[in-house]
Amino acid sequence: MKHTLIGLGALALAATAPGPSAAHEAAEVLDTYADIAEAGYLDSLAAARDLRRAVEALIEAPSAETMQAARAAWIRARVPYQQTEVFRFGNPIVDDWEGRVNAWPLDEGLIDYVEGDAGPSDENPLGGLNVIAHPRFTLSGREIDASRITPELLREVLHEADGIEANVATGYHAIEFLLWGQDLNGHAPGAGNRPWTDYARGEACTHGNCDRRAEYLRVATDLLVEDLEWMAAQWAEGGAARAAVQADATAGLRAMVTGMGSLSYGELAGERMRLGLMLNDPEEEHDCFSDNTHNSHFYDGLGIRNVYLGEYVGIDGRRVAGPSLADLVAEADPALDAEMRARLDASVLALLKIKTVAEAGHAYDQMLARGNANGERLIMEAVEALIDQTRSIERVVDALALGGVTIEGSDSLDNPSAVFQ
Amino acid sequence: MRHLTAVFLLVLAALPDRAGVDRALDAHILPGFARFAVAAGALGEAARADCRASTLHAPFHAAFDAWMAVGDIRLGPSETGALSVAFWPDPRGFTRRALAGLIAARDPVARDPATFATVSIAARGLFALEMLIHDPEFARYDQGDYSCTLARAITADLAAQAQALERGWREEFAPLLRNAGSPGNATFLTPAEAMRALYTQVIASLEFTAGQRLGRPLGSFERPRPRLAEAWRSGRSLRNALLASESAHALATALADTPLPRSDAALARVREAAAAITDPAFQDITDPVARLRLEILQQAVRALKSAIEAEIGSRLGLTAGFNAQDGD
Repeated sequence: MKHTLIGLGALALAATAPGPSAAHEAAEVLDTYADIAEAGYLDSLAAARDLRRAVEALIEAPSAETMQAARAAWIRARVPYQQTEVFRFGNPIVDDWEGRVNAWPLDEGLIDYVEGDAGPSDENPLGGLNVIAHPRFTLSGREIDASRITPELLREVLHEADGIEANVATGYHAIEFLLWGQDLNGHAPGAGNRPWTDYARGEACTHGNCDRRAEYLRVATDLLVEDLEWMAAQWAEGGAARAAVQADATAGLRAMVTGMGSLSYGELAGERMRLGLMLNDPEEEHDCFSDNTHNSHFYDGLGIRNVYLGEYVGIDGRRVAGPSLADLVAEADPALDAEMRARLDASVLALLKIKTVAEAGHAYDQMLARGNANGERLIMEAVEALIDQTRSIERVVDALALGGVTIEGSDSLDNPSAVFQ
Repeated sequence: MRHLTAVFLLVLAALPDRAGVDRALDAHILPGFARFAVAAGALGEAARADCRASTLHAPFHAAFDAWMAVGDIRLGPSETGALSVAFWPDPRGFTRRALAGLIAARDPVARDPATFATVSIAARGLFALEMLIHDPEFARYDQGDYSCTLARAITADLAAQAQALERGWREEFAPLLRNAGSPGNATFLTPAEAMRALYTQVIASLEFTAGQRLGRPLGSFERPRPRLAEAWRSGRSLRNALLASESAHALATALADTPLPRSDAALARVREAAAAITDPAFQDITDPVARLRLEILQQAVRALKSAIEAEIGSRLGLTAGFNAQDGD
């Protein structure tokens, strides 16, 4: 008898959730979501095109100044891109594509010269391949002709070579490595310090194969632009990603909260922040060559908040906004909306504290050092805030009846009730 | 009016949630952590008496067995605490590097149990000890060597962690779960939230076993990866997968208030599939027949998850929340 009542309880809850007008509203919320995604990828594309211009200038006229300008363009390009990470989880179109663009962590010895531990390991024999220095090599028993560095070589042959995810040949972090080089300062101050002469011509070339290094950098940057063009189009009117979230209001809202929760908890709080801290490894940080991790984490957090509030501020200052998830939650449960907003603000503030300290000169990799109590506290406060907001996101799932509740007696094993996978 | 009805029904629905949470704590979680604390303490004692690798094998296995009953729970004190007991998977080889680094430097941190807790999790816990006492590169040390001191440090630290987890669960987190919905409980606003939090652990554990414990070594048909099996050095890969499945089933059984015939049958099939596997370390899976047997085990674990979702999840209107594996 009790069970019948439980089933009825679930039904009664479902009955209070989306009626016709709510469904209409949900469609508008999903329009805003797709608009923000499109704006974020268009901004990422514009910034990647700037980066490409800066990279071309570096290759054309290598100097300390053009090298520095390319690095600055890379840092700027991360600002809009990281705010789009929240679209990854929950949208298969984004998740299937993301590995080409932002794969991390990477065994950079695959690409270019490295020192110390970063070479081959038991887990990845290709970690010391160094394709820039080797125009021919053997990969899984196959002879590879890499005399020309082509998009196909990077994308089809090297990227995730041998099925190992750490073999990252394309995307922001491959470009980052080519602009900064390894950060050999450990937990001490300083980022990677690749000399501009790694791109110099003739006698001035350092570390050899400067022409191949330049070609690799050019191809990787071209691919980044191409990939972002593709993704921006997916979110435009008539694009597949926009159509996918608009096809079914409940599934679309579920994609929104899945993205928010998975990025908050498993990815950012867990994999990128807490694990790196507990490993005390100075290179176990998201932007390890450039020491830009504080920004990558901060803009991830801001992106999660953008999705809930239905608001994005573009790189030119324009505001993209509309009906939001917050509106839906406020209607269903005003107290929960207040809790959700407060927790999003708290996590963004905690991430801002890390950014503030890093910009004042105490870099994220220094915070990871064994026994750095202040660094540990800063990072763990952000981790806790992200975990707290995940609990609120779960309450949002309940409040909007997005859990995909199936009724007692359902035998369908093909339709498992766990939606967050 | 509809809202009132929902509230009324939710109050009734809370009763089995409370009972299920109590049963999960009393029958499974708290005794599990107590047994792990005892086993980890015994391992520490053994290392104090004789820290050589061969003498530590048996108490290591006993401690690992005890851990598997509660090791996949990532909640409360275990949310962060489990990572330093069992750091795996380790795709970038941190454990080998961290151990080799301490040994090469003869790092004095191993002589001070209190500060050993500050070292990288890659050099702490069950997997660091496994490599130290089972990997030929490390295990040939003798009494008086630095590695012997290191084995003492790792086991003493593990015993301290086990005690802290047991205490944290018993004194702090179990009461929070039990009085979910009480005023002042900001963690669990309703008994249903506590129930979901525990149910999520069951589902996440089975996903981890199928996807990671079994999925990583399976790799692809063209490229199986036996070296990516969990705890293959100590030959525990199969045992861990089986114990994890049994523990998830036991936790699910405690949460439920009715018999779970389909989940019971699904667990029996997991056991059958496990019994058919010949190499407990999965190192034979380059052989297609051995590979097929491991795939069958993986399917059986996934079927167990589906059965639990159907019998508990659907019936109680539960969906799993976010788990730590969401993300890459």
